[in-house]
Amino acid sequence: MLANFLIGLREGLEAALIVSILVAYLVKSGRRHLLPQIWLGVAIAVAVSLGFGAALTFGPKGLTFEAQELIGGLLSIVAVGFVTWMIFWMAKAARSLSGELRSQIDKAADASRWSLAIVALLAVGREGLETALFLWAATQTAAQGTGSTAGPLLGAALGLLVAVVLGYLIYRGALKINLSRFFTWTGAFLIVIAAGVLAYGVHDLQEAQFLPGLNNLAFDVSGAIPPTSWYGTLLKGVFNFSPATTVLEAIAWLGYFIPTMTIFLYQKRQRTQGPSRQTPEPVAASGRK
Amino acid sequence: MITIRLSRRARLFSLPIRTLILTSTCTLVSLPLLAGCTNNAPAGSTGATAGGNPRALTVQATDSECKLSTTSAPSGTITFAVTNGGSKVTEFYLYGEDGKRIVGEVENIGPGITRELVLKVEPGNYITACKPGMAGDGIRAPFSVSDSDQQGSGGYDIQLVERAERQISAVRRRSD
Repeated sequence: MLANFLIGLREGLEAALIVSILVAYLVKSGRRHLLPQIWLGVAIAVAVSLGFGAALTFGPKGLTFEAQELIGGLLSIVAVGFVTWMIFWMAKAARSLSGELRSQIDKAADASRWSLAIVALLAVGREGLETALFLWAATQTAAQGTGSTAGPLLGAALGLLVAVVLGYLIYRGALKINLSRFFTWTGAFLIVIAAGVLAYGVHDLQEAQFLPGLNNLAFDVSGAIPPTSWYGTLLKGVFNFSPATTVLEAIAWLGYFIPTMTIFLYQKRQRTQGPSRQTPEPVAASGRK
Repeated sequence: MITIRLSRRARLFSLPIRTLILTSTCTLVSLPLLAGCTNNAPAGSTGATAGGNPRALTVQATDSECKLSTTSAPSGTITFAVTNGGSKVTEFYLYGEDGKRIVGEVENIGPGITRELVLKVEPGNYITACKPGMAGDGIRAPFSVSDSDQQGSGGYDIQLVERAERQISAVRRRSD
Protein backbone atom coordinates (compact mmCIF):
# COMPACT_ATOMS: atom_id res chain seq x y z
CA MET A 1 0.00 0.00 0.00
CA LEU A 2 2.69 2.47 1.03
CA ALA A 3 4.92 1.57 -1.93
CA ASN A 4 2.06 2.04 -4.40
CA PHE A 5 1.08 5.25 -2.62
CA LEU A 6 4.60 6.60 -3.17
CA ILE A 7 4.48 5.72 -6.88
CA GLY A 8 1.21 7.65 -7.24
CA LEU A 9 2.63 10.59 -5.32
CA ARG A 10 5.84 10.65 -7.37
CA GLU A 11 4.05 10.48 -10.72
CA GLY A 12 1.53 13.16 -9.81
CA LEU A 13 3.60 15.69 -7.91
CA GLU A 14 5.44 17.50 -10.66
CA ALA A 15 2.34 17.94 -12.83
CA ALA A 16 0.36 19.17 -9.82
CA LEU A 17 3.05 21.75 -9.00
CA ILE A 18 3.35 23.14 -12.53
CA VAL A 19 -0.42 23.39 -12.96
CA SER A 20 -0.96 24.98 -9.54
CA ILE A 21 1.74 27.59 -10.18
CA LEU A 22 0.17 28.38 -13.54
CA VAL A 23 -3.30 28.68 -12.01
CA ALA A 24 -1.99 30.80 -9.11
CA TYR A 25 -0.32 33.10 -11.61
CA LEU A 26 -3.45 33.57 -13.70
CA VAL A 27 -5.58 34.23 -10.63
CA LYS A 28 -3.06 36.64 -9.10
CA SER A 29 -2.66 38.62 -12.28
CA GLY A 30 -6.41 38.87 -12.81
CA ARG A 31 -6.68 36.52 -15.77
CA ARG A 32 -9.24 34.11 -14.45
CA HIS A 33 -10.83 33.98 -17.90
CA LEU A 34 -7.84 31.94 -19.08
CA LEU A 35 -8.40 29.21 -16.49
CA PRO A 36 -10.73 27.10 -18.70
CA GLN A 37 -7.82 26.64 -21.13
CA ILE A 38 -5.71 25.20 -18.34
CA TRP A 39 -8.40 22.78 -17.23
CA LEU A 40 -9.04 21.79 -20.84
CA GLY A 41 -5.35 20.94 -21.26
CA VAL A 42 -5.40 18.91 -18.05
CA ALA A 43 -8.63 17.13 -19.03
CA ILE A 44 -7.34 16.20 -22.48
CA ALA A 45 -4.07 14.88 -21.06
CA VAL A 46 -5.86 12.77 -18.45
CA ALA A 47 -8.43 11.46 -20.94
CA VAL A 48 -5.89 10.59 -23.63
CA SER A 49 -3.51 8.95 -21.12
CA LEU A 50 -6.23 6.85 -19.51
CA GLY A 51 -7.82 5.98 -22.85
CA PHE A 52 -4.55 5.08 -24.54
CA GLY A 53 -3.38 3.22 -21.43
CA ALA A 54 -6.63 1.23 -21.27
CA ALA A 55 -6.47 0.40 -24.95
CA LEU A 56 -2.92 -0.86 -24.55
CA THR A 57 -3.73 -2.80 -21.38
CA PHE A 58 -7.00 -4.42 -22.38
CA GLY A 59 -6.92 -4.21 -26.17
CA PRO A 60 -5.23 -6.47 -28.66
CA LYS A 61 -2.29 -4.14 -29.20
CA GLY A 62 0.57 -3.33 -26.90
CA LEU A 63 3.34 -0.78 -27.12
CA THR A 64 6.96 -1.79 -27.48
CA PHE A 65 9.45 -0.72 -24.89
CA GLU A 66 11.29 1.53 -27.34
CA ALA A 67 8.09 3.30 -28.37
CA GLN A 68 7.12 3.96 -24.76
CA GLU A 69 10.54 5.32 -23.87
CA LEU A 70 10.60 7.47 -26.99
CA ILE A 71 7.19 8.94 -26.17
CA GLY A 72 8.26 9.66 -22.59
CA GLY A 73 11.61 11.08 -23.64
CA LEU A 74 10.40 13.30 -26.46
CA LEU A 75 7.37 14.57 -24.53
CA SER A 76 9.71 15.48 -21.67
CA ILE A 77 11.97 17.52 -23.91
CA VAL A 78 9.02 19.26 -25.57
CA ALA A 79 7.57 19.93 -22.10
CA VAL A 80 10.83 21.60 -21.06
CA GLY A 81 10.47 23.96 -24.03
CA PHE A 82 6.94 24.93 -23.06
CA VAL A 83 7.65 25.30 -19.34
CA THR A 84 10.62 27.53 -20.21
CA TRP A 85 8.36 29.63 -22.40
CA MET A 86 5.87 29.81 -19.53
CA ILE A 87 8.54 31.06 -17.08
CA PHE A 88 9.57 33.90 -19.36
CA TRP A 89 6.02 34.66 -20.43
CA MET A 90 5.02 35.09 -16.79
CA ALA A 91 8.02 37.31 -16.18
CA LYS A 92 7.28 39.43 -19.25
CA ALA A 93 3.62 39.72 -18.37
CA ALA A 94 4.69 40.75 -14.88
CA ARG A 95 6.80 43.55 -16.30
CA SER A 96 3.93 44.80 -18.39
CA LEU A 97 1.70 44.75 -15.34
CA SER A 98 3.63 47.64 -13.84
CA GLY A 99 4.13 49.75 -16.95
CA GLU A 100 2.07 49.13 -20.05
CA LEU A 101 -1.59 49.47 -20.75
CA ARG A 102 -4.02 46.89 -19.50
CA SER A 103 -5.53 46.18 -22.93
CA GLN A 104 -2.10 45.39 -24.32
CA ILE A 105 -1.53 42.79 -21.64
CA ASP A 106 -4.80 41.11 -22.33
CA LYS A 107 -4.07 40.99 -26.04
CA ALA A 108 -0.76 39.30 -25.32
CA ALA A 109 -2.44 36.89 -22.95
CA ASP A 110 -5.05 35.98 -25.53
CA ALA A 111 -2.36 35.16 -28.05
CA SER A 112 -0.81 32.82 -25.53
CA ARG A 113 -4.13 31.25 -24.65
CA TRP A 114 -3.50 27.97 -26.42
CA SER A 115 0.12 27.82 -25.43
CA LEU A 116 -1.10 27.81 -21.83
CA ALA A 117 -3.40 24.88 -22.59
CA ILE A 118 -0.43 23.05 -24.11
CA VAL A 119 1.74 23.72 -21.05
CA ALA A 120 -0.93 22.16 -18.84
CA LEU A 121 -1.44 19.32 -21.31
CA LEU A 122 2.27 18.49 -21.46
CA ALA A 123 2.80 18.86 -17.71
CA VAL A 124 0.15 16.23 -17.08
CA GLY A 125 0.57 14.16 -20.24
CA ARG A 126 4.34 13.77 -20.08
CA GLU A 127 4.23 10.95 -17.60
CA GLY A 128 0.52 10.38 -18.10
CA LEU A 129 0.84 7.24 -20.17
CA GLU A 130 3.21 5.54 -17.73
CA THR A 131 0.96 6.52 -14.83
CA ALA A 132 -2.11 5.29 -16.69
CA LEU A 133 -0.46 1.94 -17.47
CA PHE A 134 0.46 1.63 -13.80
CA LEU A 135 -3.09 2.51 -12.70
CA TRP A 136 -4.69 0.06 -15.11
CA ALA A 137 -2.32 -2.68 -13.94
CA ALA A 138 -3.43 -1.90 -10.38
CA THR A 139 -7.05 -2.01 -11.57
CA GLN A 140 -6.47 -5.42 -13.11
CA THR A 141 -5.12 -6.58 -9.77
CA ALA A 142 -8.27 -5.31 -8.10
CA ALA A 143 -10.57 -6.87 -10.68
CA GLN A 144 -9.10 -10.30 -11.38
CA GLY A 145 -10.77 -13.32 -9.88
CA THR A 146 -8.40 -15.11 -7.51
CA GLY A 147 -6.27 -13.22 -5.06
CA SER A 148 -7.66 -9.89 -6.16
CA THR A 149 -6.94 -6.92 -3.96
CA ALA A 150 -7.82 -3.27 -4.25
CA GLY A 151 -4.86 -2.34 -2.05
CA PRO A 152 -2.48 -1.32 -4.85
CA LEU A 153 -5.14 0.69 -6.67
CA LEU A 154 -6.20 2.40 -3.47
CA GLY A 155 -2.61 3.25 -2.60
CA ALA A 156 -1.90 4.63 -6.06
CA ALA A 157 -5.10 6.69 -6.10
CA LEU A 158 -4.33 8.09 -2.64
CA GLY A 159 -0.84 9.04 -3.80
CA LEU A 160 -2.22 10.96 -6.77
CA LEU A 161 -4.79 12.59 -4.51
CA VAL A 162 -2.12 13.75 -2.07
CA ALA A 163 -0.14 15.17 -5.02
CA VAL A 164 -3.19 17.19 -6.07
CA VAL A 165 -3.78 18.36 -2.49
CA LEU A 166 -0.15 19.47 -2.21
CA GLY A 167 -0.57 21.35 -5.49
CA TYR A 168 -3.65 23.05 -4.07
CA LEU A 169 -1.80 24.03 -0.89
CA ILE A 170 0.99 25.55 -2.98
CA TYR A 171 -1.67 27.47 -4.87
CA ARG A 172 -3.21 28.76 -1.65
CA GLY A 173 0.20 29.71 -0.32
CA ALA A 174 1.12 31.43 -3.58
CA LEU A 175 -1.98 33.61 -3.37
CA LYS A 176 -0.75 35.07 -0.09
CA ILE A 177 2.73 36.21 -1.10
CA ASN A 178 3.20 39.38 -3.12
CA LEU A 179 3.39 39.29 -6.88
CA SER A 180 7.04 40.14 -7.49
CA ARG A 181 8.25 37.66 -4.89
CA PHE A 182 5.92 35.10 -6.43
CA PHE A 183 7.53 35.57 -9.84
CA THR A 184 11.06 35.27 -8.54
CA TRP A 185 10.42 32.14 -6.51
CA THR A 186 8.12 30.28 -8.87
CA GLY A 187 10.32 31.19 -11.83
CA ALA A 188 13.46 29.88 -10.17
CA PHE A 189 11.58 26.84 -8.89
CA LEU A 190 10.20 26.05 -12.35
CA ILE A 191 13.68 26.32 -13.89
CA VAL A 192 14.95 23.67 -11.46
CA ILE A 193 11.92 21.49 -12.27
CA ALA A 194 12.39 21.94 -16.02
CA ALA A 195 16.09 21.07 -15.78
CA GLY A 196 15.08 17.85 -14.03
CA VAL A 197 12.51 17.05 -16.70
CA LEU A 198 15.15 17.54 -19.38
CA ALA A 199 17.58 15.23 -17.59
CA TYR A 200 14.79 12.69 -17.22
CA GLY A 201 14.00 12.90 -20.94
CA VAL A 202 17.67 12.37 -21.75
CA HIS A 203 17.69 9.29 -19.52
CA ASP A 204 14.61 7.87 -21.26
CA LEU A 205 16.29 8.35 -24.62
CA GLN A 206 19.45 6.72 -23.26
CA GLU A 207 17.45 3.72 -22.08
CA ALA A 208 15.88 3.38 -25.51
CA GLN A 209 19.37 3.56 -27.10
CA PHE A 210 18.64 6.79 -28.94
CA LEU A 211 21.37 8.45 -26.91
CA PRO A 212 24.56 6.74 -25.69
CA GLY A 213 26.18 6.56 -22.27
CA LEU A 214 23.51 4.86 -20.15
CA ASN A 215 26.11 3.17 -17.95
CA ASN A 216 28.41 6.15 -17.73
CA LEU A 217 27.41 7.47 -14.31
CA ALA A 218 28.28 10.93 -13.02
CA PHE A 219 27.40 9.91 -9.48
CA ASP A 220 25.46 7.24 -7.65
CA VAL A 221 24.02 8.13 -4.26
CA SER A 222 21.39 5.36 -4.22
CA GLY A 223 22.84 4.25 -0.89
CA ALA A 224 22.26 7.62 0.78
CA ILE A 225 18.99 8.43 -1.01
CA PRO A 226 17.10 5.18 -1.64
CA PRO A 227 14.52 5.64 -4.43
CA THR A 228 11.96 3.85 -2.25
CA SER A 229 12.29 6.28 0.66
CA TRP A 230 9.85 9.17 1.12
CA TYR A 231 12.54 11.77 0.56
CA GLY A 232 13.79 9.90 -2.49
CA THR A 233 10.21 9.94 -3.75
CA LEU A 234 9.83 13.68 -3.15
CA LEU A 235 13.15 14.49 -4.79
CA LYS A 236 12.24 12.35 -7.79
CA GLY A 237 8.65 13.60 -7.89
CA VAL A 238 9.46 17.30 -7.74
CA PHE A 239 12.92 17.67 -9.24
CA ASN A 240 13.22 14.39 -11.15
CA PHE A 241 16.34 13.80 -9.14
CA SER A 242 17.82 10.42 -9.97
CA PRO A 243 20.17 9.00 -7.31
CA ALA A 244 22.13 7.32 -10.12
CA THR A 245 22.66 10.08 -12.67
CA THR A 246 24.46 9.53 -15.98
CA VAL A 247 27.10 11.97 -17.25
CA LEU A 248 24.91 12.99 -20.17
CA GLU A 249 21.98 13.67 -17.81
CA ALA A 250 24.20 15.84 -15.63
CA ILE A 251 25.49 17.74 -18.68
CA ALA A 252 21.93 18.31 -19.93
CA TRP A 253 20.84 19.48 -16.46
CA LEU A 254 23.70 21.98 -16.11
CA GLY A 255 23.53 22.98 -19.78
CA TYR A 256 19.92 24.00 -19.26
CA PHE A 257 20.03 25.26 -15.70
CA ILE A 258 23.03 27.62 -15.84
CA PRO A 259 22.11 29.72 -18.92
CA THR A 260 18.37 29.74 -18.18
CA MET A 261 18.81 30.79 -14.57
CA THR A 262 21.38 33.41 -15.59
CA ILE A 263 19.03 34.96 -18.14
CA PHE A 264 16.14 34.78 -15.69
CA LEU A 265 18.03 36.51 -12.89
CA TYR A 266 19.49 39.08 -15.31
CA GLN A 267 16.02 39.96 -16.57
CA LYS A 268 14.76 40.14 -13.03
CA ARG A 269 17.50 42.61 -12.12
CA GLN A 270 16.64 44.73 -15.13
CA ARG A 271 13.02 44.57 -14.11
CA THR A 272 13.67 45.77 -10.60
CA GLN A 273 16.11 48.43 -11.77
CA GLY A 274 13.79 49.65 -14.54
CA PRO A 275 10.95 51.02 -12.40
CA SER A 276 13.34 52.42 -9.79
CA ARG A 277 14.97 54.59 -12.44
CA GLN A 278 11.56 55.87 -13.39
CA THR A 279 10.37 56.52 -9.86
CA PRO A 280 11.96 59.98 -9.51
CA GLU A 281 9.52 61.37 -12.10
CA PRO A 282 6.28 60.60 -10.29
CA VAL A 283 7.91 61.72 -7.07
CA ALA A 284 8.89 65.02 -8.70
CA ALA A 285 5.41 65.36 -10.13
CA SER A 286 3.82 64.80 -6.80
CA GLY A 287 6.28 67.25 -5.30
CA ARG A 288 5.01 69.98 -7.59
CA LYS A 289 1.52 69.61 -6.26
CA MET B 1 -18.75 23.13 -17.82
CA ILE B 2 -15.84 21.68 -19.69
CA THR B 3 -16.22 18.30 -18.11
CA ILE B 4 -19.85 18.12 -19.17
CA ARG B 5 -18.95 19.04 -22.70
CA LEU B 6 -16.18 16.47 -22.73
CA SER B 7 -18.23 13.66 -21.30
CA ARG B 8 -21.02 14.32 -23.77
CA ARG B 9 -18.54 14.19 -26.59
CA ALA B 10 -17.00 11.06 -25.17
CA ARG B 11 -20.40 9.38 -24.97
CA LEU B 12 -21.17 10.32 -28.55
CA PHE B 13 -18.08 8.67 -29.87
CA SER B 14 -17.54 6.17 -27.09
CA LEU B 15 -16.96 3.09 -29.19
CA PRO B 16 -15.32 4.49 -32.29
CA ILE B 17 -13.17 6.91 -30.27
CA ARG B 18 -11.37 4.08 -28.54
CA THR B 19 -10.43 2.48 -31.83
CA LEU B 20 -9.67 5.92 -33.19
CA ILE B 21 -7.33 6.80 -30.34
CA LEU B 22 -5.78 3.36 -30.52
CA THR B 23 -5.20 3.25 -34.23
CA SER B 24 -4.30 6.89 -34.67
CA THR B 25 -1.89 6.90 -31.78
CA CYS B 26 -0.42 3.61 -32.87
CA THR B 27 -0.02 4.93 -36.39
CA LEU B 28 1.33 8.24 -35.13
CA VAL B 29 3.80 6.49 -32.90
CA SER B 30 4.72 3.67 -35.18
CA LEU B 31 5.30 5.76 -38.28
CA PRO B 32 8.52 7.29 -37.01
CA LEU B 33 9.33 4.22 -34.98
CA LEU B 34 8.85 1.64 -37.72
CA ALA B 35 6.92 -0.66 -35.42
CA GLY B 36 6.04 0.99 -32.15
CA CYS B 37 2.90 -1.04 -31.76
CA THR B 38 2.94 -4.71 -31.23
CA ASN B 39 0.43 -7.45 -30.67
CA ASN B 40 -0.28 -8.21 -27.06
CA ALA B 41 0.47 -11.84 -26.31
CA PRO B 42 -2.73 -13.87 -25.97
CA ALA B 43 -1.65 -15.25 -22.61
CA GLY B 44 -1.78 -12.17 -20.51
CA SER B 45 -1.31 -11.23 -16.91
CA THR B 46 -3.91 -13.71 -15.79
CA GLY B 47 -1.30 -16.36 -16.38
CA ALA B 48 -3.38 -18.36 -18.82
CA THR B 49 -0.55 -20.45 -20.15
CA ALA B 50 -2.87 -23.30 -21.04
CA GLY B 51 -2.25 -22.72 -24.73
CA GLY B 52 1.43 -23.11 -24.00
CA ASN B 53 2.56 -20.01 -25.85
CA PRO B 54 6.32 -20.24 -25.51
CA ARG B 55 6.59 -16.46 -25.90
CA ALA B 56 4.32 -15.65 -22.95
CA LEU B 57 6.45 -15.79 -19.82
CA THR B 58 5.68 -15.02 -16.22
CA VAL B 59 8.07 -13.56 -13.69
CA GLN B 60 7.50 -13.91 -9.96
CA ALA B 61 9.41 -11.07 -8.34
CA THR B 62 9.85 -10.62 -4.62
CA ASP B 63 12.21 -8.55 -2.50
CA SER B 64 14.82 -11.31 -2.76
CA GLU B 65 13.87 -13.45 -5.75
CA CYS B 66 13.27 -13.18 -9.49
CA LYS B 67 11.73 -16.41 -10.79
CA LEU B 68 11.03 -16.75 -14.49
CA SER B 69 8.61 -19.41 -15.74
CA THR B 70 11.32 -20.40 -18.21
CA THR B 71 14.80 -19.14 -18.98
CA SER B 72 14.57 -19.53 -22.73
CA ALA B 73 12.13 -18.61 -25.46
CA PRO B 74 11.91 -18.64 -29.25
CA SER B 75 12.67 -15.34 -30.98
CA GLY B 76 9.85 -12.98 -31.83
CA THR B 77 7.52 -10.88 -29.72
CA ILE B 78 7.99 -12.04 -26.15
CA THR B 79 5.82 -11.01 -23.22
CA PHE B 80 7.09 -11.01 -19.65
CA ALA B 81 4.21 -10.71 -17.19
CA VAL B 82 5.98 -9.56 -14.04
CA THR B 83 4.15 -10.00 -10.74
CA ASN B 84 5.51 -8.31 -7.67
CA GLY B 85 4.92 -10.50 -4.63
CA GLY B 86 7.31 -8.51 -2.44
CA SER B 87 6.89 -5.36 -0.40
CA LYS B 88 9.21 -3.05 -2.39
CA VAL B 89 8.48 -1.44 -5.73
CA THR B 90 10.36 -3.40 -8.37
CA GLU B 91 11.49 -3.06 -11.97
CA PHE B 92 12.17 -5.74 -14.56
CA TYR B 93 14.93 -5.49 -17.15
CA LEU B 94 16.03 -7.51 -20.13
CA TYR B 95 19.68 -6.73 -20.81
CA GLY B 96 21.92 -7.66 -23.71
CA GLU B 97 24.63 -10.28 -23.23
CA ASP B 98 26.99 -7.64 -21.81
CA GLY B 99 24.55 -6.97 -18.97
CA LYS B 100 24.56 -3.24 -19.75
CA ARG B 101 22.57 -2.59 -22.90
CA ILE B 102 18.87 -2.38 -22.01
CA VAL B 103 16.76 -4.35 -24.44
CA GLY B 104 13.57 -3.69 -22.51
CA GLU B 105 12.41 -2.49 -19.14
CA VAL B 106 9.20 -2.03 -17.17
CA GLU B 107 9.10 0.25 -14.13
CA ASN B 108 6.67 0.99 -11.34
CA ILE B 109 5.70 -2.58 -10.56
CA GLY B 110 4.20 -1.89 -7.15
CA PRO B 111 3.62 -4.65 -4.60
CA GLY B 112 0.75 -6.87 -5.67
CA ILE B 113 0.74 -5.55 -9.22
CA THR B 114 1.40 -7.40 -12.47
CA ARG B 115 2.84 -5.49 -15.39
CA GLU B 116 3.88 -6.65 -18.81
CA LEU B 117 7.01 -6.06 -20.78
CA VAL B 118 6.33 -6.72 -24.46
CA LEU B 119 9.21 -6.64 -26.88
CA LYS B 120 10.58 -8.06 -30.06
CA VAL B 121 13.66 -10.13 -29.32
CA GLU B 122 16.29 -11.42 -31.73
CA PRO B 123 17.99 -14.80 -31.16
CA GLY B 124 20.90 -14.59 -28.72
CA ASN B 125 21.95 -14.54 -25.10
CA TYR B 126 20.45 -12.09 -22.65
CA ILE B 127 20.34 -11.30 -18.96
CA THR B 128 17.14 -10.77 -16.98
CA ALA B 129 17.02 -8.69 -13.81
CA CYS B 130 14.50 -7.73 -11.16
CA LYS B 131 15.34 -4.60 -9.21
CA PRO B 132 13.47 -4.57 -5.90
CA GLY B 133 13.83 -1.07 -4.45
CA MET B 134 14.58 0.38 -7.92
CA ALA B 135 18.33 0.58 -7.26
CA GLY B 136 21.50 -1.42 -7.80
CA ASP B 137 22.25 -4.15 -10.32
CA GLY B 138 19.26 -6.25 -9.38
CA ILE B 139 18.79 -10.02 -9.20
CA ARG B 140 20.26 -11.25 -12.45
CA ALA B 141 20.02 -14.49 -14.40
CA PRO B 142 20.95 -15.59 -17.93
CA PHE B 143 18.23 -15.89 -20.55
CA SER B 144 18.48 -17.31 -24.04
CA VAL B 145 16.43 -16.76 -27.16
CA SER B 146 16.54 -19.43 -29.84
CA ASP B 147 16.16 -18.84 -33.54
CA SER B 148 12.63 -19.26 -34.86
CA ASP B 149 10.72 -18.43 -38.01
CA GLN B 150 8.99 -15.57 -36.30
CA GLN B 151 10.93 -12.35 -36.47
CA GLY B 152 8.35 -10.17 -34.83
CA SER B 153 4.91 -9.83 -36.37
CA GLY B 154 3.64 -10.99 -39.73
CA GLY B 155 3.90 -14.22 -41.65
CA TYR B 156 2.54 -17.58 -40.70
CA ASP B 157 2.85 -17.79 -36.94
CA ILE B 158 1.14 -18.87 -33.78
CA GLN B 159 -0.15 -15.42 -32.99
CA LEU B 160 -1.79 -15.10 -36.38
CA VAL B 161 -3.51 -18.45 -36.00
CA GLU B 162 -4.65 -17.52 -32.52
CA ARG B 163 -5.94 -14.18 -33.69
CA ALA B 164 -7.94 -15.91 -36.45
CA GLU B 165 -9.35 -18.30 -33.89
CA ARG B 166 -10.37 -15.42 -31.65
CA GLN B 167 -12.09 -13.74 -34.54
CA ILE B 168 -13.97 -16.91 -35.47
CA SER B 169 -15.21 -17.38 -31.92
CA ALA B 170 -16.23 -13.72 -31.78
CA VAL B 171 -18.26 -14.14 -34.97
CA ARG B 172 -19.81 -17.29 -33.53
CA ARG B 173 -20.75 -15.47 -30.34
CA ARG B 174 -22.36 -12.67 -32.30
CA SER B 175 -24.39 -15.06 -34.45
CA ASP B 176 -25.69 -16.92 -31.39
